[in-house]
Amino acid sequence: MKKRKDFDYLLLIVMFIIFAIGAATIYSATKSRNLPLEESFFVKQLNWMGIGIALLVVTISISYQRFIDVAYILYGINVLLLVAVLIVGHARLGAQRWFSIGGFAFQPSEFIKLSLVLALANYVASKKDSMKEMKSLIVPVMLLAIPFVLVILQPDLGTALLLVPIFFAIMVVSGARLKYLGIMILTGLAGLPVFWHFLRDYQKQRLMVFVNPNIDPLGAGYTIIQSKIAVGSGGLFGKGWLNGTQNQLNFLPERHTDFIFSIVGEEWGFLGAAALVLMYFFIAKRAFNIAALTSDLYGKAIASGIGVMISLQSVINISMTIGLMPVVGIPLPLVSYGGSSLIATVIAIGLLINVGIRRSTF
Amino acid sequence: MRDRIVILTVTALFILLFAGLFYNQVVRFGYYSRMSKNNSIRVIPIDGPRGNIYDRNGVKLVSNRLSFDAAVVYQELKNKQKFVHILSESLNMSGRDIMRALEKARARPYAPVTVLEDIDKTKAIMLEEASFDVEGLAIETRSKRNYIYGNTGSHIFGYMSEITDKELDDLRDYGYRMGDLVGRAGLEKQYETYLRGVDGGTQIEVDSRGRETRVIGVKEPMNGRDLYLTIDIALQSACDKLLGERKGAICVMNPNTGEVLALASHPSFDPNVFVVPKSSEDRTALIKDRVGRPLSNRAISGLYPPGSVFKVVTASAALEEKKITPNTRFFCSGTYRLGKAEFDCWKSEGHGSQNMTEGFMNSCDVYFYSIGRAAGVDAVERYAKLYGFGRATSIDIPDEVNGLAPGREWKKHARHSSWFEGDTVNYSIGQGYLLVTPIQVAVMMSVIANDGNLVKPYLVRRIGDVSIHVNRPKHIGLDQRTVSVIGEGMYEVVNNVNGTGKKAKPEGVVVSGKTGTAENPHGRTHAWFSGFAPYRNPKICLVVFLEHGGKGGVAPSEIARGIFEEARKKGYL
Repeated sequence: MKKRKDFDYLLLIVMFIIFAIGAATIYSATKSRNLPLEESFFVKQLNWMGIGIALLVVTISISYQRFIDVAYILYGINVLLLVAVLIVGHARLGAQRWFSIGGFAFQPSEFIKLSLVLALANYVASKKDSMKEMKSLIVPVMLLAIPFVLVILQPDLGTALLLVPIFFAIMVVSGARLKYLGIMILTGLAGLPVFWHFLRDYQKQRLMVFVNPNIDPLGAGYTIIQSKIAVGSGGLFGKGWLNGTQNQLNFLPERHTDFIFSIVGEEWGFLGAAALVLMYFFIAKRAFNIAALTSDLYGKAIASGIGVMISLQSVINISMTIGLMPVVGIPLPLVSYGGSSLIATVIAIGLLINVGIRRSTF
Repeated sequence: MRDRIVILTVTALFILLFAGLFYNQVVRFGYYSRMSKNNSIRVIPIDGPRGNIYDRNGVKLVSNRLSFDAAVVYQELKNKQKFVHILSESLNMSGRDIMRALEKARARPYAPVTVLEDIDKTKAIMLEEASFDVEGLAIETRSKRNYIYGNTGSHIFGYMSEITDKELDDLRDYGYRMGDLVGRAGLEKQYETYLRGVDGGTQIEVDSRGRETRVIGVKEPMNGRDLYLTIDIALQSACDKLLGERKGAICVMNPNTGEVLALASHPSFDPNVFVVPKSSEDRTALIKDRVGRPLSNRAISGLYPPGSVFKVVTASAALEEKKITPNTRFFCSGTYRLGKAEFDCWKSEGHGSQNMTEGFMNSCDVYFYSIGRAAGVDAVERYAKLYGFGRATSIDIPDEVNGLAPGREWKKHARHSSWFEGDTVNYSIGQGYLLVTPIQVAVMMSVIANDGNLVKPYLVRRIGDVSIHVNRPKHIGLDQRTVSVIGEGMYEVVNNVNGTGKKAKPEGVVVSGKTGTAENPHGRTHAWFSGFAPYRNPKICLVVFLEHGGKGGVAPSEIARGIFEEARKKGYL
């Protein structure tokens, strides 16, 4: 730790506050299951955080340059795991996303976001003088495309789509020509109808339901309708912790995972929900600050990528609970129940702090 | 510079998200809050039972009974085959009907949906026991109107049927709900606001599967108020029995107060048929019977020429106008000449010389033609109206009609023609344009029985604890001698061996009355008897009307005798 004064304690504190809110909400969301404490989701999530803190310490202790050095190896392993999960993984909710390692559910797609950030950072920083050329975009596009396709195949539309803004954010800060990036976006949009063709039926249905949830109020539209009711009925001050009727009376499905924000909105109201959103914005702001103050492209790319990763994941997740976006199953960082997501996010924040204290500032 | 693109994009997204949250939680709070409560709060209504109806002796006539419905909770249904099997076995329902009910239940999977209404009590208990094994089967109880005496008194009670959508729009604020029954006729309609109970309810919180999690509050239901009638159900039953299969009406009342002791109309109906909310064959048959018109209360809604019972009015007019005295004699040759026209007496060989008493006793038409013409149409019309004709009696059940007491003015407006002397001749014996309801005749008779005082007939004497109808008899201005002369005439009708109403003479009590045989354009003559007893200090007056019943001196008089004897047994005479 070269510069103790640059250690972003505030970032760390906000992370723990968000986690605490998440743990309390998980407790509330799963209370009606009446599980014994040691088996409860709340305690399990605390255990995951224990592992997370250990990994956080490791992440901060090693210079981020060491991570860059092994970026391609990490990326390669992660891609192999994505392939493996398609072959031997367990299906859950119609998707093959995870497999168990020693009794723990492990979800490689949660880590690929981070692996992609590191791999892209490594590439763009090493080519930083030729990034304006078109051919320099070929490798980054490949780096994006391989996990994108693999994650789509699981199928995990949400996580796959999240890789795209991460890619663009790093491309933008690395100095790639905006014209080329614009062309890529347009090509992507033009390819959407083809993309639609490859979607699974349930994914198509989710998109249809996004346009009009009342198509099927007891089926595919049920979750989104109930979630909007939960958040909306929270009002300004909320119904109070453990007092959300939508939550406690079981009207919300998937409420300790992807739809956990519905409970935050219902039980803590607009004030609580807005505070949570502000904290995510704070993390994003800190990430971009670190990026702006970092002169080496390695650190800058990592900080920008992570900033976009955490902020967009939370914006998309919250938007879907209030019907502003289609339901794409992605967890709310640090809040949703789930070890892989939690640990990946904690490591990401560790990397941010890491860049903050070790960056070169000329 | 380039960093800013990313920062600005992310910031813009956060601002949008903020706005979305604010809209959802603050602007639309009311809407979603209501949705959330609708989700989790159910109100299970508790019926406020409708008030009972009792007769004058406290005998329960109309009450509420517990009915059982077989229902299905679709959500809990596991084995459809088993469900269909047990219901078709025990309730004699076709598998198709049950499947149709199940289809309907699919739309409301959490709530019990009725499969068959009002099942037998023993079957209900049997199915209730079976429901432990048959998932989804539920037996629901409900309070249903129960008309204990079936057809007897049905026109007094009326009936109830399901509220229409249009009525619901008007009445929703008064606590009416879809599927509620409302009074359609009789007391059920007239006293709807008193009889109706106020429904209470249990407010419960349910989870997403509709299971009760806790009780939030209970609002106790309020019973409707009971009605205590002037009717004596035993006398009412006797009247029904005496009428038998004949079409007609009977009204028995206390001439001093207007209390109606019995009010029958035949053909009658069983109001229980209307209690089941779905239409049944029985109900359709009742509504479609245009000939028998069983739903119509002939005693207050039927319009008929009164025939000779109206001679009471003619006599009053002539005496009060001092055109004749009781001893003035007229000669009956069997025919009455008016210019070129001839009006026959019912007895073609004639009655010879007649005074008032004889005129009544023989119901001599020629005598009444003469005194009617002597009085003149205006006097006859005036006295007809004084006796209550041409205007509803305001008895406390709905659908009463006014009838018609014609006169010069009426004919000019309604028929665009002037009044002829021939019209007066017909008027004098209760024929022509004159139309009356049986209850109006009973009221007319009560005037003679009650020293010239007219009373308003009524059926309800007490609502809950509150007595109503403090009746003030109204003296219609007749000379006391007129009343007693007419009474004496009618005494002879029943008690003289030659009286037209001698068949009405009962054992042990002296009756006074008048028969009537009314020509009508629809066929056989209508038959009337109206009278009162005891002759001195009357306690009961009645009217018996038989539609196309032949001669007043035969069947109606016999029925009247039966009623008087029954009333005597019950201690009213």
